[in-house]
Amino acid sequence: MKNTLKDVLGRLSLTSVIALASSAAFADVKVGAIFDLTGGLNIYGIQQNNALNLAIKNVNAAGGVNGETVTVVGYDAQSELSKYTQFAQTSVLRDGISAMFAGLTSSSREAIRPIFREANIPYFYSSLYEGGACDRQTFVTGSSASQQLNVLMNWAVETYGPKIYIMAPDYNFGTISGHWIHKFAADNGAEVVGEDYLALSVTDYAPTIQKIQAASPDVVVALPVGAAQTGFLEQFAAAGLKDTIGVVSTNYGSGNQQVVVSPQAGEGLVSAMGYFPSVESDANAAFKAAWEAEYGSDTPIVAGAVDVWNAVHLWAAAVNKAGTADTEEVIAALESGLTFEAPNGTVTLEPGSHHLRQDVYIARGNANSGFDIVQTFEDSAPTYENEMCDLIENPDLAEHFIPEG
Amino acid sequence: MEPDFLATVLLSSLSSASILLIATLGLAVVYGLMGVINLAHGEFLMVGAYSALTATQIGLPFLLAIPFAVFMTMLIGAVVELLIIRRLYGRIFDTMLATWGLGMVFNQTAVLLFGTVSPGIGMPQWNFRIGDFSLAVYPLTMIVVAALLLAFVYVLMTKTVYGMKARASIQEPQMAQAIGIDSARVNTLTFAIGCGLAGFAGAILLPIIPATPSMGLFFAVKGFLTVVVAGPVALTGTALTALGLGGGASVTASFMTSVIGDVFFFFVTALLLWLYPLGISSKWRRKL
Repeated sequence: MKNTLKDVLGRLSLTSVIALASSAAFADVKVGAIFDLTGGLNIYGIQQNNALNLAIKNVNAAGGVNGETVTVVGYDAQSELSKYTQFAQTSVLRDGISAMFAGLTSSSREAIRPIFREANIPYFYSSLYEGGACDRQTFVTGSSASQQLNVLMNWAVETYGPKIYIMAPDYNFGTISGHWIHKFAADNGAEVVGEDYLALSVTDYAPTIQKIQAASPDVVVALPVGAAQTGFLEQFAAAGLKDTIGVVSTNYGSGNQQVVVSPQAGEGLVSAMGYFPSVESDANAAFKAAWEAEYGSDTPIVAGAVDVWNAVHLWAAAVNKAGTADTEEVIAALESGLTFEAPNGTVTLEPGSHHLRQDVYIARGNANSGFDIVQTFEDSAPTYENEMCDLIENPDLAEHFIPEG
Repeated sequence: MEPDFLATVLLSSLSSASILLIATLGLAVVYGLMGVINLAHGEFLMVGAYSALTATQIGLPFLLAIPFAVFMTMLIGAVVELLIIRRLYGRIFDTMLATWGLGMVFNQTAVLLFGTVSPGIGMPQWNFRIGDFSLAVYPLTMIVVAALLLAFVYVLMTKTVYGMKARASIQEPQMAQAIGIDSARVNTLTFAIGCGLAGFAGAILLPIIPATPSMGLFFAVKGFLTVVVAGPVALTGTALTALGLGGGASVTASFMTSVIGDVFFFFVTALLLWLYPLGISSKWRRKL
């Protein structure tokens, strides 16, 4: 009996030594990542994941966070919503992560946002989206619809004229963007003469193209999402409408649609986003060089990838500033008005709304399946989010604000 | 309603229906002649699109890229029949499961081979006007393509020796074998032809619908429903159903919204299946 007890004690101390040793050997900070590496959304997810790994590598090369190495526990959500919640739970319960970088669609964000709120872990969402997410643990580095449309609608009305047609996907990104188009059109003295909201599986756009011609607008605001809707631009051009009716977008190019669309259809299409590879700055040149060294230059870098890059660096800056990876201190640091020299210009994390103040670029598709930047709107604020969401005043807010009407 | 708008709606709805028919015909042949529901049909279409795309990228003109795509998909289809489908005849749910899984494999293989974005080849920028409305020519030529394709498959299946053997092999396999038809080989060919038709669709629709790994999904649901509503008289039934459902949905979308167009499609499908559980052609006396 005595022997056995001794045995047990011996084993216990042995295991605790091993445990200590292993925790010393793995004294690194873990972050989680869930992106769509397979399935229909991987057009965005693969680049987001590449950007995450590159950013972590960059952070580690610069000494890690507080001298500790950052490691990634990554998951493939397979373009399925249920996988997001499953992996989010796993990462919280098993992996012991200090921060999470995940999600492309708003539905994926809304599915996992409560999990990280509950677990009190900072969660970074890095994609352009319809705007309005407000949660103490959630930080958004993509641009919101109002942020982009504010400058784009002003420019479009001035450039093309006051009659606007909306072509958008039939879910909240499309309909909320539609709301902002109506609002900013009215602000600029323009009028929406027609609108068509389409399911993501529609491949034949003849009906939409006829309705556009019947309404005879000056400019179409087209927000094609997914591979099928890219066909709209091709069919629009083939019907011979591109020369008489302008096309502007807040997401054309976000999934490298300019590569899929033929040069003759893509030339002249206008997009307003937070990043284009043709942005000229030292930070962008360095970022592109690092990216191409790692992943080659076959596929142009999308805005969502830069949003992830910015998220990782903002988080790392906050952890270094806080001196710890503990949530409360990190959130306090993130809410201290952090800025970062990003590939897309200087970005500032708004303390109240947890959204980014960043440049918005208006760019025109060229004949080489790329974009030429027409105009830069520096330091555009996420005005709607700032107005609705003040997490300094109201740390308990957890809402997805949707504009009324 | 202005006559020019009406004319454009009619023409483009006819072209919508034709595109649906082109995309569905291969599925109809395989289902109608073999009783196999090929859920990887959409992915074969995708394989056809990528084959044609690759062919044009290495310098082949588009018109030669189409037969290349047909050849590639027939080849892959034949291999799939030999390795998988052959073992599952008469087990309709097992075939569905197997082909569904196969579709996933194809999808991911395409991602690994071609990445997520490939350059499109674009549509010929030809268009013409009816009154105030401008129409692209290429989608309208699909009406002619669909008619020719339908005629070709009909003649192939009813007037040729192969067609008779194909129908005999699946309807009376033992009798067919007894009179010297190598029914196994004929079935391989039939499945390959179905896949080749999918490949043809992917290739000829490539200018309208750019090649992406997940493009098969866009046709999977509507194509599958079209074939099920059509019922046992595969060719005529599918042609009629594609015209009614696809054309009807397009007309509805033109006058109302695209969402209501989709609602029309699925509502009429449900209604028809309620009235004709075995498909609209279940009581017809025609063979194909």
